[in-house]
Amino acid sequence: MKQITLLTILAAAAIALPLVIGENPYITGILISVLMMAALSSAWNILGGYAGQYSFGHAAYFGAGAYTTLILLTNYPTLNPLICMAVGIIAASIIALITGAIVFRLRGHYFGLASIAVAEIVRLSVLNFDFTGGAQGILLSDVSLWGLDLNSKNPFYYAMLLVLAVTLGITAYLRTSKTGYYLQAIREDQDAASSLGINLSFYKNKSLLLSAALTSVLGSLYGLYIRFIDTSAVLDLRLSIEIILTAIIGGVGTLWGPVVGALLLVPLAEMLRSNLLGDALVKAGLVSETSALGIFLKENLAHAHVLVYGIITVLCILYLPKGILGLFRRTK
Amino acid sequence: MSFLQPLLSGILTGGVYALAGIGMSLVFGVMNISNFAHGDLMMLGMYLAYFAFTLLHIDPYLSLVLILPTAFLFGYLLERLFINRVINHPHQNQILLTIGLGLIMSNTALLAFTSDPKILTTSYSSSAFNLPGGISISAPLLFSFLITCVIIAILYIFLSKSTTGMALRATSQNREAAQLMGINVAKMSAIAFGLGTALAATAGALIAPTYYIHPLAGHSFLLKAFTICVLGGLGSVVGAGVGGIIIGVVEAMSATYLSSDWKDVVVFVLFLAVLLLRPQGLFGKKGGQS
Repeated sequence: MKQITLLTILAAAAIALPLVIGENPYITGILISVLMMAALSSAWNILGGYAGQYSFGHAAYFGAGAYTTLILLTNYPTLNPLICMAVGIIAASIIALITGAIVFRLRGHYFGLASIAVAEIVRLSVLNFDFTGGAQGILLSDVSLWGLDLNSKNPFYYAMLLVLAVTLGITAYLRTSKTGYYLQAIREDQDAASSLGINLSFYKNKSLLLSAALTSVLGSLYGLYIRFIDTSAVLDLRLSIEIILTAIIGGVGTLWGPVVGALLLVPLAEMLRSNLLGDALVKAGLVSETSALGIFLKENLAHAHVLVYGIITVLCILYLPKGILGLFRRTK
Repeated sequence: MSFLQPLLSGILTGGVYALAGIGMSLVFGVMNISNFAHGDLMMLGMYLAYFAFTLLHIDPYLSLVLILPTAFLFGYLLERLFINRVINHPHQNQILLTIGLGLIMSNTALLAFTSDPKILTTSYSSSAFNLPGGISISAPLLFSFLITCVIIAILYIFLSKSTTGMALRATSQNREAAQLMGINVAKMSAIAFGLGTALAATAGALIAPTYYIHPLAGHSFLLKAFTICVLGGLGSVVGAGVGGIIIGVVEAMSATYLSSDWKDVVVFVLFLAVLLLRPQGLFGKKGGQS
């Protein structure tokens, strides 16, 4: 009962948030990024956290959704975006099934390696084909989404929130369902799971497909929201790693871990990118603006967010391998 | 153009790939760790060769005398400080740790050396030997290949004859049994990682005269090194050697007959095909995929 009350308050707060902050595109933009990363990481968590299959190529499914949607809409501007999303899910599922068919017979390092290889094949193919816009990417200039006011970011805030809620709902359901128990059994000990009659390949593929479909929907939404995509934005290995990192920091295999991870990482990245951190150091009088260090920070800190990600990853694996939520669980 | 031209240049480039692949395979064999920082270690080797050439005016091939021990030490320390702390962790933690270390290396390089690609131009960079039949061999590629052969030969003798080499192979075959026989497996891991790093950096230095030197160059080499290891059989040093040559030839052939845009795709498709048809690799033992 206490949980339901807490959840209701949380949901109400999330729904009311855009009304409270008003029309502030910058803040809303960051909130959308937080929701998207939380949802992406939760979708990854279904496969990586619960089934224990670490995919290092989730950008492929994100890109499949984004590219399918934008390619369809540039060619058929009147198409219903929901149909585009559905086609995106099919594209992502095909990629997922090919990956699953090849690697789920194998164990250990192979799934991780093969997921990268598949993602790289997708990225390079998109880069080399003409209909995908190649290195230039795709710009969607004119689109009407059921007559929504696209100058406001709020519709996308609610769309992302909805997908996050659905993803979390599926994860919560999985935790106590038969499939969920099977997945966790596979994660803990494949041989034991198999000897108890669990069809390993079927359940691994099931969680992969679910995870890929959700990721693809988020890719479609991202494409509609930004209306410009290229391979470095939606298909890069860096995106796949950010998704995993978010889950790791929050806590892999926990329901709320990805959300906690996104709440920490996305604002941090934004602070580095927009140089807020550098400015804050100067303002606090810690670093003089004209000193060599001050100039260096001003010029470089904006590019350093991947470096910071690297440092956080290393520290997290060494000192906090179960993530922030894992920390609380242990003390219980 | 004759069929022999891409074959020959493929073999020569493949030799250097083999060196990187052997380094990764050694680490995998002894420590059972997939090293995702391997490509970035290659990138560091490229920059070491570049700065040895531009600042100290040392020929990139001669600079190996400096790069090899430096990289060995660096790898040895990396293992002692970071990698050995996750040696009994699940695979994914090891992978993420090496990814994190790789991100730190490549992005530090990006801050320090900027994203402008560097080119290492020596007096012989564009010279070539002409063979009968209109085939030409690029001089730096040939030098790199010959040096690779010497290094692989020395490594082979080291692994098969020396006490440390035998201890490394024993650890690779069975870690627990090796420990029971009194081998210091923790030290062997550090040595293996040091050797792997030294081989990666050497491979980087050897291709520096023929490639763009860029902080993110390691990325594509990492995936190539993995393909080589899986093709040869994870942990098999001989397999990695042969795998490197095969990848070099496949790449050169697809660049010639298909298009250079697609050559990486062909390599990754080959990687998936190996996983599908022969997951233990060409030289791996059957059932060794767990």
